[in-house]
Amino acid sequence: MALFVQLALNTLQAGSVYVLFALGLTLIFGVMGVVNFAHGQFFALGALLTSVLVPALHDSLGGSVAIAFVLSSVISIIVVLALAAAAYQFGFRRYLRDMVGSFILSVGMLLFFEGLFLWIFGGVPRVVPNIAPGELRILGAAIELQRLIVCAVAVAIGIMLYLMLGYTRFGRAVRATAEDAGAATLQGVRHKRTLLYGFMVGSFLAAVSGCLTAPLAVITPSVGNDYLIKGFVTIIIGGLGSIPGAIIGGFAIALLESVVGYYLDGTMATIGMFCVVAVLLLFRPRGMLGHVQH
Amino acid sequence: MQLRASLRAVLFGAAFSLAVAPAFADDVLKFGVSAPMSGAAANWGIGCDWVGQKVVRQINDNGGIRAGGKTYKVQLTTYDNLYTAAGGAQSAQAMINRDGVRYIVQSLGTAPVQATQSLSERSGVILLTTAWGKTIKGPKFPLTFTNSNTPYEIFGPLFALVKEQHPNIKTVALLNPNDATGQQAEAQSKLEWGKLGVSVVSSSFYERGTTEFQSIATKLAATKADAVDLGGSAPGDAGSVLKELAVQGWAGVKLYPAGTGSDTLVKVGGKSAEGVYMGQGADFSGPTATKLQRDLDTQAKQALKEPLNILQMGVWDGVMAIKAGIEKADSIDPKAVAKALSSAKPNTSYGPVGYGGTATYGSPQQLLVPVIITQIQNGQTIEVRRVKSPDASGG
Repeated sequence: MALFVQLALNTLQAGSVYVLFALGLTLIFGVMGVVNFAHGQFFALGALLTSVLVPALHDSLGGSVAIAFVLSSVISIIVVLALAAAAYQFGFRRYLRDMVGSFILSVGMLLFFEGLFLWIFGGVPRVVPNIAPGELRILGAAIELQRLIVCAVAVAIGIMLYLMLGYTRFGRAVRATAEDAGAATLQGVRHKRTLLYGFMVGSFLAAVSGCLTAPLAVITPSVGNDYLIKGFVTIIIGGLGSIPGAIIGGFAIALLESVVGYYLDGTMATIGMFCVVAVLLLFRPRGMLGHVQH
Repeated sequence: MQLRASLRAVLFGAAFSLAVAPAFADDVLKFGVSAPMSGAAANWGIGCDWVGQKVVRQINDNGGIRAGGKTYKVQLTTYDNLYTAAGGAQSAQAMINRDGVRYIVQSLGTAPVQATQSLSERSGVILLTTAWGKTIKGPKFPLTFTNSNTPYEIFGPLFALVKEQHPNIKTVALLNPNDATGQQAEAQSKLEWGKLGVSVVSSSFYERGTTEFQSIATKLAATKADAVDLGGSAPGDAGSVLKELAVQGWAGVKLYPAGTGSDTLVKVGGKSAEGVYMGQGADFSGPTATKLQRDLDTQAKQALKEPLNILQMGVWDGVMAIKAGIEKADSIDPKAVAKALSSAKPNTSYGPVGYGGTATYGSPQQLLVPVIITQIQNGQTIEVRRVKSPDASGG
């Protein structure tokens, strides 16, 4: 029993961050029709800045690490959003629904940002102090308290995004643009503004997931690459452009990692992940819930 | 008209370069380093280049290298091998065929080294590496040498010491990255633990770049092994695994035999890194390091924002080894230098050390630097035992 609870907790915690990351990726694809390979770098910048700022703010302001973490996260998210706005304004805006152009642009950005972050932050792995020391024991399984908190925050943000897209004017505009940009414009949706906001919300999700990952993982300038691959696998499984698909895909990947990683090993889990993608691409290329066509 | 003038200028420039280059090449020895300069392991390559430029500057400032009645200056360039076989092949082509490098003073990563070796041996180029493969050295590869200890030198003395200090160890669980480095570490671990009568109850691999280690730790903890051997894992990964193992209640003997970064291990693992035994985690800032190593480490911390590890220090030793080989051979011919290396005693960062390892590899191609066994105690890397190579005949 303890083993199954442990695997379930592992899945829940890892899956919640994967979902958040993939939601940003799928939202940008849905709205703009571009596959943003630089998404992992926005994630990495969020994580790197948090890992630098938490110890600095904690030392200078005192108080609890959790407060320093919240402040650091806010600052990190603002910096990432500024970078994302520049990337959109000077880059992505010119390659909307241009898969080849945006692919080259975003891969270039990925390499440039990775080099830039390596130069600025150095390659030495960074660690954020525990934001909520302690462990929780549930039916014989153990999980760090900070992991549970991160999981809860990720789930809350995911629900907020879901509600925003489903029930607000902005959400309807985003979904309409994703379905048919031309028709949405004819209905009065401000096309350019929706695209910009959609990109910014997607980048916000990358930044938030980066900040939330900072206390849980070892942070280096290349930390985003692992998440980027899993993000793509997630949205391919769930369906490109599909929000519920990203949620299902994220947890499916985490479950696969947990169970196969335990019974076989990490390498087999990675192979299994790509096998699932290959099978889906053969028999259901739009993914489980995919419907957007570009 | 303008086009013709430009063409003439380009042709003139090219002809001038061709005429002048050999003149320079006569007085300059080109040394190459093949290391990851981008991606997750880029900091290793950056550190290698930094150490390389330091030692080259020192040699040049002291008058260069003398051979055959001439004095040569040294020029060192680091090529990005991406830590992959394909990157190793590309960088080897660039080094050897394009830039005319005849001495590769350091090459990181087993896979890129194997790719580089396929060209270097054919082209008569000396290749100094940190790679572990037993099959990359020996009489079949007379131009390939290893500068730092490998599992064949480290694991035996390390495991024996651990078993001596913890005689109750009966079982061990292994974890390694799924690449050539990890596979070789795993094979040697199984062999050495077997010799001590310790049974390997689980052996797992993971992909480099993994960020979530909970499931891996769950698996290791479930084996209830007396010891965990983290083989060739990256320091951050090893720290993450140990942290998760502690959360999940596992408390046994911890080994990180091929780990190079004790600083990172402690930073990431925190208290869970306490007591970890390491075979390559030398602390170059500590009292057991030589003065040169301490100075380099201090400067590296300022310049690179991180301490040096054994692999990076190996660049210093590699450059000094080639210098010693050239001076002993009194020739810059790589084949003559390779022959001379087997009996040379380069002034490495550890002091004068020779090449040996005939019993293991079939010929003296292993630099006999000491095996430094360390343990994390109160967050510090403490030297527990320094084992001189049993085969010091090369010196």
